[in-house]
Amino acid sequence: MKASHRAPAIALLPAGLITFVCFYLFIAWTFAISLTGSQLLPSWDFVGLLQYQRLFASARWWTALGNMVVYGALFITGCLTLGYLLAILIDRGVRAEGLYRTVFMLPLSMSFIVTGIIWQWMLNPGLGIQQAVRGLGWEEFAFNWLVRADRSIYTVALAGIWQQSGLCMALFLAGLRGVDPNIWKAARIDGIPTWRVYAAIITPMLRPVFFTASILLFSLVVKSFDLVVALTGGGPGFSSDLPARFVMEHILNRQELGLGAAGACMMLATIIAVVGPYLYAEIRQKKGA
Amino acid sequence: MKDMVKSCCAAAGLAVVSWLPFGGNAAKATELEVMHWLTSGGESASLGVVRRAYQDQGGGWRDAPVPGGSAARAAAVNRILGGNPPPVFLFSLGTQLTELSAHGLVTPVPGAGPEWDRVLPPLLARSAKYDGQYRGAPLNIHGENWMFYNASLLQQAGLAVPRTWAEFLDAATRLKAMGIIPIALGGQPWQERLLFNAVVLGVGGRDFYRQIYEERDPAALASATMLEAFRVFAALRPFVDEGSPGRRWNQATAMLIRGDAAFQFMGDWAKGDIKAAGLEPGVEIGCALAPAPEPAYIMVVDAFAFTQPLDEATAQAQARFVSVMMDKDVQAGLNQAKGSIPVRTDIPDDGFDTCAKQAMVLIRDPATTLASTGMGLPGGMAGALDDAISHFWNDPRMTPEQGRDLLRRSILAFR
Repeated sequence: MKASHRAPAIALLPAGLITFVCFYLFIAWTFAISLTGSQLLPSWDFVGLLQYQRLFASARWWTALGNMVVYGALFITGCLTLGYLLAILIDRGVRAEGLYRTVFMLPLSMSFIVTGIIWQWMLNPGLGIQQAVRGLGWEEFAFNWLVRADRSIYTVALAGIWQQSGLCMALFLAGLRGVDPNIWKAARIDGIPTWRVYAAIITPMLRPVFFTASILLFSLVVKSFDLVVALTGGGPGFSSDLPARFVMEHILNRQELGLGAAGACMMLATIIAVVGPYLYAEIRQKKGA
Repeated sequence: MKDMVKSCCAAAGLAVVSWLPFGGNAAKATELEVMHWLTSGGESASLGVVRRAYQDQGGGWRDAPVPGGSAARAAAVNRILGGNPPPVFLFSLGTQLTELSAHGLVTPVPGAGPEWDRVLPPLLARSAKYDGQYRGAPLNIHGENWMFYNASLLQQAGLAVPRTWAEFLDAATRLKAMGIIPIALGGQPWQERLLFNAVVLGVGGRDFYRQIYEERDPAALASATMLEAFRVFAALRPFVDEGSPGRRWNQATAMLIRGDAAFQFMGDWAKGDIKAAGLEPGVEIGCALAPAPEPAYIMVVDAFAFTQPLDEATAQAQARFVSVMMDKDVQAGLNQAKGSIPVRTDIPDDGFDTCAKQAMVLIRDPATTLASTGMGLPGGMAGALDDAISHFWNDPRMTPEQGRDLLRRSILAFR
């Protein structure tokens, strides 16, 4: 190896080592633990796939997984749509653009815990929106999704979209500002209506931005834990539970280390299954271009 | 849920601390470090009784409170694994303590002898033992199947205290018609489980409760009695207000005190809040056991556990701690402060409130004592049980048949 190559390699070594140990080694450890009967403490009595059998027999796990799909779909499409629309509106040249940008970005500065608590107050039937509207005279008004087992996951999506669409707006706005002004001029000369320019020209051009935003949002979906904890506590019952919360609860509170580890491995498998092909396709396309 | 986040942080924080070579082990040899989670008013007063008696004997005491039961237990386990074990720490009787014992991480209770076998309720003695030796020194006995009621509301409605669940449903219907919330329920899984277990006990009786939770008998789990329990449980749904989900137990107790709600099914720790509001448990806020065909007491027990002493001084301090804690006067004093009852059955009931007096008589009969599911079941199974009950309770679309099936599957998955 040439000397000029050695220096960067040495510089990268600690970071690489840390990544390897803290990331891949611990993933391997988690997987190994998921094959054992560990409860409160790690033990190495291998029980094969028993923990996975338990996991798949658990109604709560399937609810959590189903919730992740519902929440993920609503959250990602909601954030992308709302963020893109806001970005377009701001890009059309509103007055006090800086003010709007700040307002839409502000929720992002809060942690998910704070967002969860705020929305818990707003959605609480006895305190928030429902009570306020009833106070105005609509006695029959009902907005009690937070306490309804069949609706509670939608409130999580609502709070998540409220917080994260600002991020998408910023990404899209940066993308829109990067569009060559000549394209707009050409479109105007050809007499193409504005909405068609956005639909047929600008949106396809922003494909990499959509890609980045989706990956960011997807990672938020998979690891979402704090929002649910603060907003619904996984309830009522376990109707708004998510896999991350399932895993944390079984490891920390229920002394089922093995079962929690099995859940964590299934989460990783889910991510690989969803993101893997997407990543592969995007990267291949880039190479081809 | 905030507690949970806190507990994660605490666990993580303590895990880090315990890795530091000299982390926290600066205690003088004569000082006994006591880890616990008894931080609220009545709780800390009750531990204060033990502490004063211990200090009167010339012992040094270093208090190490960690707020929140699960956080404190996680912290203790972290310290043990990190090589800086707390000499004395509060724990709960049950499978967790058994696991610590099986790994040799806790020592037998110093000074526990045949006397304990004689004075402790047999169920308690059994739960505190591992391999024939006491691994937990029980501090107090709490009861889970209490029914507190606002006496003046019941009087207004012209109702007697219901003794069966059928009577209870009638009473609840009448109260609801009067615009009173019949049941003040905190919508957290463990509170919903308390209510459910009260129903199981009331519908099936003591032996059925044991078949379900001690033997985990598949036939009993699938029985018609279980179905009936779910029917009664489902029939209670309309008698709870919409604000229930997420409510804490003491907020529910406050509803009772204010006169907004008539009944609360809760453990006897609720008496602490009733007293704090200036009321006398058993008078303005009455206490009765939840409706059941035969008397039974579902017990929850806090217990201290001990790690291998590092030197002779610590060993002596541990032994002194145990003898102080089990002293009759200390037991009486600490349990009066906490609202629980003494673990010894040979203590006179002078100075206890009427609810506690009732309980002290009950636990003398081994047939009436039952273990709480938190104490009797492994962590995973107890959690799955809470999940199933809470899921059924909160989803009115679920039929009693589906509820019974979910519960059976949840318990059997962890067998």
